[in-house]
Amino acid sequence: MAMAMASKPAIRSFLRSTKFPCPYASVTARHFAHTPFRAESRPNAQPTNHERTTHFGFETVAEAEKEARVAGVFSNVATSYDTMNDFMSLGIHRLWKDYFVRSINPGSSSSSPPSSGWKMLDIAGGTGDIAFRLLDHCTNINNSPSSTITISDINPDMLAEGRKRSLSTSYAHSPRLSFLLANAEDLHTVPSNSIDLYTVAFGIRNFTNKDAALREAYRVLKPGGLFACLEFSGVTNPLLDAVYKRWSFGAIPLIGQLVAGDRASYQYLVESIEEFPKQEEFRNMIQTAGFVVPGKGWEDLTAGIAAIHKGIKPVEKS
Amino acid sequence: MASKSTTGLFLRGFISTPKPRCSARPYHSYTHPPPPGPFTPVETAILSASLPHIPTHGFTHTTLSLGAKDASYIDASTNLFPRGAFSIVHYHLVTQRAALSKHKHILETSSQPGAKPPGIGAKVKALVWERLMANKGVIHRWQEALALMAQPSNIPTSISELSSLSDEIWFLAGDTSVDSSWYTKRASLATIYASTELFMTTDKSPDYSKTREFMDRRFEDSRVLGTVVGSVAEWVGFTAHAGLNVMRSKGVRV
Repeated sequence: MAMAMASKPAIRSFLRSTKFPCPYASVTARHFAHTPFRAESRPNAQPTNHERTTHFGFETVAEAEKEARVAGVFSNVATSYDTMNDFMSLGIHRLWKDYFVRSINPGSSSSSPPSSGWKMLDIAGGTGDIAFRLLDHCTNINNSPSSTITISDINPDMLAEGRKRSLSTSYAHSPRLSFLLANAEDLHTVPSNSIDLYTVAFGIRNFTNKDAALREAYRVLKPGGLFACLEFSGVTNPLLDAVYKRWSFGAIPLIGQLVAGDRASYQYLVESIEEFPKQEEFRNMIQTAGFVVPGKGWEDLTAGIAAIHKGIKPVEKS
Repeated sequence: MASKSTTGLFLRGFISTPKPRCSARPYHSYTHPPPPGPFTPVETAILSASLPHIPTHGFTHTTLSLGAKDASYIDASTNLFPRGAFSIVHYHLVTQRAALSKHKHILETSSQPGAKPPGIGAKVKALVWERLMANKGVIHRWQEALALMAQPSNIPTSISELSSLSDEIWFLAGDTSVDSSWYTKRASLATIYASTELFMTTDKSPDYSKTREFMDRRFEDSRVLGTVVGSVAEWVGFTAHAGLNVMRSKGVRV
């Protein structure tokens, strides 16, 4: 599931005819900036009154359905993930991810000899680009070769891509790297109070139940452990926001249509960004889950196009 | 009366002050309950546990990390402090400023019956000295703190802490000025404090006697300067007034 960056769906059209069935086949083509209209005439998945619903972009779909539809999006983009991210964000996503990892400073240790290292869990980290950065930082900056990471993703295709990429790193077949196929809302294979660092980069947006995922993060983290999230957020400057909205709702689906012949997936991408809670709201969700946040709770990147949210699991007073 | 910043208000709460006669609409800051300080309980737990490590490890990330461990947190918890080691400096500044109000022997005017109560100036000097002595344990590491305070992103906090300290000292000493001297007093005290603190980092004399002399000289300079400025102002005022009267006597309508 990993980072649903702007891009993934592009490859879909190439794949559609060959390998993967497309879950969007029945969705009618979406048009430029007409989302209210589309919301009225919901293409499919009319939820009944008895079902719990959630967002899929601007659409309201049954909770049970969102997971499958998100899975469809990511299954198709797994192999072209980074290329498409680069294409859509002009390479800036790499800077964000580098900064994200640097700000966490994983593997740091004050004890001598160094402690057993950090135990890290990268949720929605399928292709491993955050995980490899974290391990690199532990090894090269903080001299902590014993730090380990588990890459967790709900999507087997994304995980397979991560496995493949790990072969070209020094962590291939090393005990420092493991993979876990799991839903972030239910990490029952991960023991409680066992993780130093829980990261989720460009993933939590696609979760069906974000509060449940946050509660699960709280459970698996050690007391004092860090929850760190890198995600698209709200642009703070109204003028920039207008330009950015114009770009994201106008250009991105258009590029998707022209380059990949798949407008719908790109439309999902920008809509899901728009639907995701803005900085304050998400900070409040993190606090509600029980975390204490540093400072105001988030740090804006590139004027708020993305933001880093952090939370610390407090130690219970005995 | 004093108290611009919320941190100032925070400190006022510690001071025992006479209750106002009419308490229906509290006006002065010290009649309000103290607002929360700049640190959350978790931050306070980690930072206060960090302080004992400063003499050994200085104002560094290691100190912060060791403090987190002592407060039964882990290395990852230091992410709670985006400004890293500067948070320790900030915590030290805030807590030592708050501690000033506990120096009862300076603040209580009639400590010994019959003795002449110390003036505001003497109290200010005594409080500055107490604040400097509060740096004694970390003075060999204080240049690290000064370096952190001088980093551009930390300068606003550092300056505001310095001005809060200056304000706090004048307030505790009982200064009630309401004219422009309110500002000049605080500005000159901030200058004196900052320069003496810097002097102290290189002072090796026993009991910091050199620092004491340095501080006394700065206060004397400030007094002399104040007198000179006052005299010059008086002369300018007199001359202007006289000139005006001369013009009036010549029939100029002013």
